[in-house]
Amino acid sequence: MSDGPLIVQSDKTLLLETAHPLADECRRVIAPFAELERAPEHVHTYRVTPLGLWNARAAGHDAEQVVDALVTYSRYPVPHALLVDVADTMARYGRLTLSKHPVHGLVLTSTDRPVLEEVLRSKKIVPLVGARLDPDTVAVHPSERGQIKQVLLKLGWPAEDLAGYVDGEAHPIELDQSGWSLRPYQQQAVEGFWHGGSGVVVLPCGAGKTLVGAAAMATAKATTLILVTNTVSARQWKHELVKRTSLTEDEIGEYSGTRKEIRPVTIATYQVMTTKRKGVYSHLEVFDSRDWGLIVYDEVHLLPAPVFKFTADLQARRRLGLTATLVREDGREGDVFSLIGPKRFDAPWKEIEAQGYIAPADCVEVRVTLTDSERLAYATAEPEERYRFCATTASKRRVTQALVEKHRGIPTLVIGQYIDQLDELGEALDAPVIKGETSNPQREKLFDAFRNGEITVLVVSKVANFSIDLPEATIAIQVSGTFGSRQEEAQRLGRVLRPKADGHTAHFYSVVARDTIDQDFAAHRQRFLAEQGYAYRIVDADDVLAGDDV
Amino acid sequence: MPRTLAEELRARPDEGLAELLRARPDLLHPVPSDLTQLSTRLSTRASVVRALERLDQFTLQTAEALAVAPDACSYATLLDLLTGTVPDHDTPAGDTADQDTPVQAVTAALPGALAALRAQALVWGGADQLRLVRTARDVLAPTNGAPGPTGLGPTYAEATSASSGGGAPLSPGRLQEILADAGLPATHDPVSAVAALAALFQDRPRATALLAGAPPGVKDVLRRLMWGPPYGASPPRPVRAADARTPVEWLQARGILLPAGRENVVLPREVALHLRGGRAHRAVEPLPPAVTAAAVHDPGQTDRTAAAQAFTAVRTVEEVLDLWSTEAPGVLRTGGLGVRELRRTAVALERTEQEAAFWLELAYGAGLLAADGETAERWAPTPLFDEWLRQPVPERWLLLVRSWLASTRVSALVGSRDAKDKVLAALGNDLDRPVAPELRQAVLELLAGLPAGSAADPAALREHLRWRSPLRGASLRDRLVDWTLPEAEQLGLTGRGALAGHARRLLDGGDPLPVLAPLLPEPLDHVILQPDLTAIAPGPLHTALAQTLAVAADIESKGGATVYRFTPASVRRALDAGRSADELHAFLARHSRTPVPQPLSYLVDDVARRHGVLRVGAASSYLRCDDDSLLNELLADRRAVQLRLRRLAPTVLAAQVDPGTLLTQLRAMGFAPAAESAEGDVLIARTDALRTPPRSAPVPVTDGPPAVPEGLLAAAVKAVRAGDRAATAVQPASAPTDAPPAPAALPRTTAAETLAALQAATLIGDRVWIGYVNADGAASQRVVEPKQVGGGFVTAYDHLREEVRTFSLHRITGVAELTRDAAAGS
Repeated sequence: MSDGPLIVQSDKTLLLETAHPLADECRRVIAPFAELERAPEHVHTYRVTPLGLWNARAAGHDAEQVVDALVTYSRYPVPHALLVDVADTMARYGRLTLSKHPVHGLVLTSTDRPVLEEVLRSKKIVPLVGARLDPDTVAVHPSERGQIKQVLLKLGWPAEDLAGYVDGEAHPIELDQSGWSLRPYQQQAVEGFWHGGSGVVVLPCGAGKTLVGAAAMATAKATTLILVTNTVSARQWKHELVKRTSLTEDEIGEYSGTRKEIRPVTIATYQVMTTKRKGVYSHLEVFDSRDWGLIVYDEVHLLPAPVFKFTADLQARRRLGLTATLVREDGREGDVFSLIGPKRFDAPWKEIEAQGYIAPADCVEVRVTLTDSERLAYATAEPEERYRFCATTASKRRVTQALVEKHRGIPTLVIGQYIDQLDELGEALDAPVIKGETSNPQREKLFDAFRNGEITVLVVSKVANFSIDLPEATIAIQVSGTFGSRQEEAQRLGRVLRPKADGHTAHFYSVVARDTIDQDFAAHRQRFLAEQGYAYRIVDADDVLAGDDV
Repeated sequence: MPRTLAEELRARPDEGLAELLRARPDLLHPVPSDLTQLSTRLSTRASVVRALERLDQFTLQTAEALAVAPDACSYATLLDLLTGTVPDHDTPAGDTADQDTPVQAVTAALPGALAALRAQALVWGGADQLRLVRTARDVLAPTNGAPGPTGLGPTYAEATSASSGGGAPLSPGRLQEILADAGLPATHDPVSAVAALAALFQDRPRATALLAGAPPGVKDVLRRLMWGPPYGASPPRPVRAADARTPVEWLQARGILLPAGRENVVLPREVALHLRGGRAHRAVEPLPPAVTAAAVHDPGQTDRTAAAQAFTAVRTVEEVLDLWSTEAPGVLRTGGLGVRELRRTAVALERTEQEAAFWLELAYGAGLLAADGETAERWAPTPLFDEWLRQPVPERWLLLVRSWLASTRVSALVGSRDAKDKVLAALGNDLDRPVAPELRQAVLELLAGLPAGSAADPAALREHLRWRSPLRGASLRDRLVDWTLPEAEQLGLTGRGALAGHARRLLDGGDPLPVLAPLLPEPLDHVILQPDLTAIAPGPLHTALAQTLAVAADIESKGGATVYRFTPASVRRALDAGRSADELHAFLARHSRTPVPQPLSYLVDDVARRHGVLRVGAASSYLRCDDDSLLNELLADRRAVQLRLRRLAPTVLAAQVDPGTLLTQLRAMGFAPAAESAEGDVLIARTDALRTPPRSAPVPVTDGPPAVPEGLLAAAVKAVRAGDRAATAVQPASAPTDAPPAPAALPRTTAAETLAALQAATLIGDRVWIGYVNADGAASQRVVEPKQVGGGFVTAYDHLREEVRTFSLHRITGVAELTRDAAAGS
């Protein structure tokens, strides 16, 4: 019996024993085709999915390499059926290719005629294709390049898109690497993306995704459309771009609810793109207003469904997706694959943390015991109010105060879901509150003050979940959340993961009411962090209140 | 030379007879009394067919060749039929290229095939007089309408005689015409004419010369018919050579095609044999097709794969039976397992229904699973299962494999439909296929014939097995081969399609366990606990450890390793199963290689803290008292023993007798208890006045006619009025007569009034006077006593005719009440 670090399960998960001497070697070999699903301390779980295998194919790996990796590192014999399945799945990618024909424009070509016959019989394909040019080739309406890729993926025959890209309108962009330089993994990510043409770069929060975007722009040297989640994030992108590249303020436009600027580099929000007026999307002009050479999608996992639709029509442009996770809570990973592109680069959090680029984090769950009267009130609360009730108890406020006190002088974010609770906390902690209704200039002002160290405690609502760069935040205390969203937990943790000037550990506190659904939701979020490899400690609120060292 | 089969058998040595009986065991039921009886029994159709079914392709072809050869033919004739007389002939088959190999191979194989046929007493007689048993000849030989496996038609003699069904006897005149057109001299009688024709085609140069002169198109016709079926759809025509216009007519004129019924012509056997170069079969297969390897792997690897699968097989059976230990599904009325139950089991096992059926059938076949025989019959593991669980894994595997090899049940049939379109249920009847064990064994043996590590090409396997017994199994044979391969893989007999070392040992009759055991993973006594509340068993666990873990955690993923997840529900399950939190902590610490993660300890404590805080029990009554010393006294009182009091709280006791008994007993003991209502009020102590639940008063029962509903009452009134009017309009003096009365004399009322009056009369039982117009238009008056009104008819006693008659309502012109006198008078 061999003694490899890998155990292949019948449900196509791979278990990697991290303590094994060959673990690192094995990890490198399986990473291209298997998605890291969980990375707790001892055994990491990877999952082999068709998308993962196709990602590997797109990156130039073949089935033999995959099978070889599994057989070589597996501790037990790998089920034959699984190997056959891997080979079959991988063989499905690239049987069909989309390419440019000098005469007929966009064509779909097959190396395997029955496959072409099979897909052409599909009712969904028929309206997307034109004349059959020869037994192996069929013309595709150029406007349907995105749709046909989506449909082919659903049919299980993902097409390789070799039709190339338009260069777009050239615009000089250089990285201005004075006082900093691109980190090696960022460099690799840009290279991986550029080599592949289009695709997604997966990097943890705080690992400098904006810089990957900037570097990609500097490589493309073309006009760029950047799609981001919200206005604050748009401003931050602008700020970063001005600081890190040769671009000036005047070259960068913001296309949001308040401003409608189209400049060589335009940053638009998802929200404005998906705004409908009289039933039509009124801001689609952005896509056509310039001959964009590159489109950057920030936070791809949040890309709203309508944007997928628009993206389908932009297949001739280079597309870069940036995200911390490919997992979409709506399950549309396939659309990301077919419309934006395969995964071009990824690096697990822990690895980047180990390289010192993101701060190590200490995750602590503080369990608050409800008082008897609170328990009674909780028990009699309406079901839809229960979470709100237990998430906003007065006991939590006391614990939060104690925690802030314990880390006095260190930049601290208090994050919560309910505005009333945040207002109360703001009052109790004597700290400013940023919520949905806070105006953008006011937000900017407060964030600046926080960055400068003028304010050390900031109470924020979920507006701060995404793309807010507060590198100095060291302590995050979350008092309530969106019913246990794993996504949110990742984003919030990301707030404190920027490397600190003095290299000290970040702390991430979750204040949780014991024996309530708050605790159940917390368990859900906690599982996510534990799976990401963060040791999660549980402490009792009484210990915090007593001032013990936790 | 023996003259009969019995004589030949008599001459055989004892071991020869023994061999015969071994090969054809059906002859022994019952044991024949003598050799004559044996030879008769040998020749019964059922026995012969059974024997033929078990022949391999070449032996069968030999028998088939004998069936088309003249009876008592020589060895040389037989050999010619199998190899052909013309090695390099010009037949349209054009398979001259590899002619030499079959000839040599056939020559080499024929003695063996003949010996086999002789051994089974299908062929007897000396080398010059080979005789195929009559019945076998009948079974194999071509007859009119049914060309045999050789595709040859009837002989000239058969095709021209009247006796062979469907044959059209040729008139002597026609025969002579044919002789003349074929260029043969005339003969005196039909028999010699037929013989002359047959002789013509047995003489190669003459026949070749005759066909050489054929017009174009003739060859195509012959080519179509020569390898059979030898019948052509063309109405026979007795043409002469001079009149022949088409190729078929040209052939008919010369007797090369003969009439077969009214619609067809047939190519006689002699002609076909001439065209075929004397060969009875298009392709003789003296040797079985080689089983080829489809892939070759490292034998070490395939053995390990098979061993891992053997382990999985044992675990899977254990898993499914564990599942059914608690959730036993019912037995269908027709036997077997319901489709929904199968689906549920498949989902629980995370396998397809087909695979689930396989494992269930395997467990059933091994005697580990059976119907429990209760009234509401359910499937449940047998006591043997518990015994089996205690055995080491290799021995458990061996039981499964042995029973699979011997089982006639075919699980792959589950879900398919039988001849009556009934779906075959798992564990049901109708899954037995007697050929299955033979084929399984054969497939494995063929795999064993390949070098270690080689996976066989399934198509080659199917071909080989077809050669071995072409008549046996039919379409099921190929499917069985296709099913056997994955099943062998599932059982761990093969790994990646190659027969494993332990399976080879098993087939050789040796003990596979020493080969298998070292390949099986060693059970582990530890797991890896992770902070995300999972436990990973990086290999198979000791049964006890696996069982405990399965209670305390949910299984998330299976395979080489097992991933368990602890959840509040799973921990509660462990606590419910009688484990304490401390035991769980100790258990985790003992079996973990790493420190127990803090969140897991918290989870156990969290659940344990709340577990059992609320207690539920049953009591028949309670006793409460603010003075706990009084309760102490009561508890200590010996007379209270039968009340089975138990203290729940300082001031509350629970009793296991009903409140009434409790009160009585306490009073008897000298206490003065008060009863309490469900709301806690003191019930007034007095004998309960009995009350029923709400009831309505009984409906009075009268002996008169039932009450008349309002509607009917109105109708009755109307009828009375109508009768009244009629009575005042006409006053019949006497009972009506046969003579048609004056139309004016007929009572007239409206249709509604008529109906109402008749209904009223029916109710009261009164007689009325009606006017009636019969089908001929003749009007009459009648006195009737209506019995029933409905559906447009009145059934009434007709006093005039003195009989019960049915009147159409629309023919009744009107109703009138009889005058008192008239009623009394009639």
